Amino acid sequence: MLLQLKNISKWVHSGGQKVFLLKDINFWVNEGDFISIMGPSGSGKSTLLNIIGMLDDFNEGEYTFLEEKVHSLKEKHRANLYKQYIGFVFQAYHLIDELTVKENLEMPLLYKKHSASERKSLVADMLDRFNIVGKKDLFPSQLSGGQQQLVGVARALIASPKLILADEPTGNLNSKQGEEIMEIFTQLNKDGVTIIQVTHSEKNMAYGSRVINLLDGKIE
Amino acid sequence: MQTLYFKIAIRYLLKNKLYSFINILGLAIGVASFILIMVYVNYERSYDTFEGSEDVYRVYMDYKEGDMYVPGDAQTYNLTGPTIKKKFPEVLEQVRLYKFDKVVFTYNDQIFKEKDGSVADPSYFDVFGYPLLEGDKSSVLQEPNTIVLTQKLALKLFENENPIGKTIHAFAGGNKTILRVTGIMDNIPQTTHMKTNFLISYATINTWGVFRKLHRELNWNQNEFFTYLKIDKNVDIKALKAKIMTADFDDNFDERHNIESLEDIHLHSDKPYEAEVNGSAIRVKFLTAIAFVILILSWLNYINLSITKSLERAKEVGIRKVAGAQKRQLVIQSVIESLILNLIGILLALLLSTFVVSMYSRFIGSELVLDVKILQQVLPVITMVILGTVLASLYPAFLLSSYSPSKALKGKIKASANGLHIRKGLIITQFAATIVLIIGTMVITRQINHLQNQPLETSLNNIVAFSGELLTKKDSVLSTKFERMKDEIKKLPYVTHAMTTQTFPGDDYINLSSSIGITYPDGTKNDHSIQYGYEVNNPKYFEMMGMKFIAGGTFLPNTRGKNKQIVINEKMAEMMPFSNPAEAIGQTIKFWDENWNITGIVNNYHHFGLKKPEVPIIIRYSRVDNYILVKFDPTVASASEYTQAITQIENLWKQIFPQSTFEYTFIDKKFDAQYNDDRQFNTAFRGFTILAIFIAVLGLFGLTSYTCVQRKKEIGIRKVNGASIFKILKLLNIDFIKWVGIAFIIAIPIAWYTMNSWLENFALKTNLSWWIFVLAGIVALGITLLTVSWQSFMAANGNPVDVLRDE
Repeated sequence: MLLQLKNISKWVHSGGQKVFLLKDINFWVNEGDFISIMGPSGSGKSTLLNIIGMLDDFNEGEYTFLEEKVHSLKEKHRANLYKQYIGFVFQAYHLIDELTVKENLEMPLLYKKHSASERKSLVADMLDRFNIVGKKDLFPSQLSGGQQQLVGVARALIASPKLILADEPTGNLNSKQGEEIMEIFTQLNKDGVTIIQVTHSEKNMAYGSRVINLLDGKIE
Repeated sequence: MQTLYFKIAIRYLLKNKLYSFINILGLAIGVASFILIMVYVNYERSYDTFEGSEDVYRVYMDYKEGDMYVPGDAQTYNLTGPTIKKKFPEVLEQVRLYKFDKVVFTYNDQIFKEKDGSVADPSYFDVFGYPLLEGDKSSVLQEPNTIVLTQKLALKLFENENPIGKTIHAFAGGNKTILRVTGIMDNIPQTTHMKTNFLISYATINTWGVFRKLHRELNWNQNEFFTYLKIDKNVDIKALKAKIMTADFDDNFDERHNIESLEDIHLHSDKPYEAEVNGSAIRVKFLTAIAFVILILSWLNYINLSITKSLERAKEVGIRKVAGAQKRQLVIQSVIESLILNLIGILLALLLSTFVVSMYSRFIGSELVLDVKILQQVLPVITMVILGTVLASLYPAFLLSSYSPSKALKGKIKASANGLHIRKGLIITQFAATIVLIIGTMVITRQINHLQNQPLETSLNNIVAFSGELLTKKDSVLSTKFERMKDEIKKLPYVTHAMTTQTFPGDDYINLSSSIGITYPDGTKNDHSIQYGYEVNNPKYFEMMGMKFIAGGTFLPNTRGKNKQIVINEKMAEMMPFSNPAEAIGQTIKFWDENWNITGIVNNYHHFGLKKPEVPIIIRYSRVDNYILVKFDPTVASASEYTQAITQIENLWKQIFPQSTFEYTFIDKKFDAQYNDDRQFNTAFRGFTILAIFIAVLGLFGLTSYTCVQRKKEIGIRKVNGASIFKILKLLNIDFIKWVGIAFIIAIPIAWYTMNSWLENFALKTNLSWWIFVLAGIVALGITLLTVSWQSFMAANGNPVDVLRDE
């Protein structure tokens, strides 16, 4: 088992009342899973993904990731944990505009203290694997959306994470580009990477092996 | 990793050109202004500093006015130095200097007029730590008729010859002497109150005709010597000062001796008979304050812009955090960016200030230089500045790095209430400082105008003072020559008056005599105030100078020398024991052991310029030939006719006095020149105020653009719902107007207090009218509205669809 959520709840106070963003979420993820989180707008999909990715706190419950109790970890440890095992892919790609493709790929490695030669070979591998060697010195604004997302995926993968969290990864792409990205995810999943994606699209859902439906912060 | 930080920082700066430009420009202007002012301040503070200067003190005279002693004379008696040295073992050495107004040297038929030099005791080099390049320190000034020259003057006189042992002729007041060069001293920097190009041995006083009995005999009557003491390091100066003040050397309770530190003279001493017009500590203080204000303004500006901009970078921070960046790493990156920005700003500032200083030196011919030494002296402050800026950059850095990544990535970061308060505070501080500076500029300008528009009670226009050093002995022949000269000048066209006088309003102190202890007609003696006096040799002097008599009239013509006649001013008359000043006419007062007959009383006029109060003045009728004052017909206005008339007089002068120097001054210009320092101060103040406003505007511009971006959506929604552009402008401007209002309220007491204390320096001061403050507030508000409206208009005028489409 890769991770387990037990009775997770998250709420905010609004007008003196608790408004639940997530209520009593229970589920687990095994290594090699390809999970799709679905649900209408405001159902808590992204919040759940952020909690899994340790970017967000929760108010109640227990979260275990690779036997580590995330809910009782200090921020620094938590950061180390997700740095090591989790890669993120975003709907809006979230590349750094001031960095070239190559530098964007290199950035996570810098924070993980890889040596220069290691960084060089890992970046070269990624560029190769995603067929973007020719684009390595371009800035994000010089790429199409599909190419940007390709870089986004490559960046998420570069430190060989166990888990990829993708928040509507094809939301800003046309269908052909979307399919390409989903193909890549499928391939990665076959290679043993666990993937959790948030999606609206039934088509994308079909790539996954398991679906979690959320409505008003609860799993249906 | 570091290279990546640099790379991204540079790219970021290049990408956001406007932001980088505003930021760097603000910093560069702030730091450059700061350096420039500090260079000047440093120059002013460096006066009279040499090795051991901290142990040197000057003796001066306090005079009793009423029940109080006030500084009365920068010069002391020839007995002062030797007596103090003998009486107080704490005093290691003393030196007396008799400063010449001017001396003319001749060597090989060449004539050199030199202003700055003195007669000095042999101990000069023991007190003043200036190095002697040639000659023996202890003996160069021992013998009579010996002279030590600075290297510069020696080069001028002798060019490439060896000056040692050469003899030159010297003329002062028409008296000639022969001097032998015994030493060469290093050039004395311009940063001294006692400018010196040559030193003549003290013993020469006994052999040179320019000196009289009262100089030669040791006495407590004639104080014409500057006295400097070298005092033992370990001595309690306060105790010694008290001892000197209470010591009664000359059995005269109307005056006492006092001492002051040599280093303090330039900025803190403004006594009668100073060696030169000194600087002003308050000016230096004001400029220092402005320097720091501008620096802080540019610093606040920087923080403000960084915070503003950091919000736009929230997304990047989010990505980095998700990619595994630690808080520390993000902070470092942010600080590196600040460092780069600051470094560029500071380099630019250095270039700018070096350029300005070198231009200034070239055109004004000043000694002001920006060299490594000065930079080193200013360095601690600059380091502080850089450190401050780095600290300032830490705030946005921490602010930035503390964003929660999930929110940052969604662009949900809004300024926290806290951050907004800080920015508001910064803007209010900036505006308060700006308003204070605007008020300061207005008050200073007004004060200078106020001075210039005062009734002088004397008319200085169209009068030229001619003078020259005659290289012939004063005798009856010379006197006849002067008469001839005057007669010839009177024959020239355009000339209405020509006469000789000792001095004129606005002239230097040195041509004015002072006395204390006048005996009034009723036999009472006034020991408590100083009168100043001078001689004129023509009853028409008052007519020429436009001085009005309130009682009596001018001297009886053609009676000069027969009975001693004087005209006094109203101030003098008021001191006398008469109920009506007019009663003084025809009465006799006694001073200098002679009786003087009062023929008239003139209105008070400003002899020393308008910065000083009016003083009691006695004008004596006597033979005198220091200046020839010539008044031209006021209808002569054209410059060419003036030049022509002056050239004619010069030719005449050279014809009648073939061996002499020649110079002339327009006395109204000389009078006006007294405010040059204030005028320069005004110009500097105004210039730096404009820069400060500019920096504040930059800051405001940055904040506005931020506000507009933040409220883009709000503006769009309001417009879609029917708000007019005006309504939106009002919405965006109202906050800024509120802040300027708060700044105004803070600024008023500060400005009032500081400007009041500045005005204290003037005898005649303008009042701090309420409208100055109101006007400053309106100016600040106007500037704010212009800056803010420009950008908010753009925001208000935009198509709301463009904004709302993003969602």
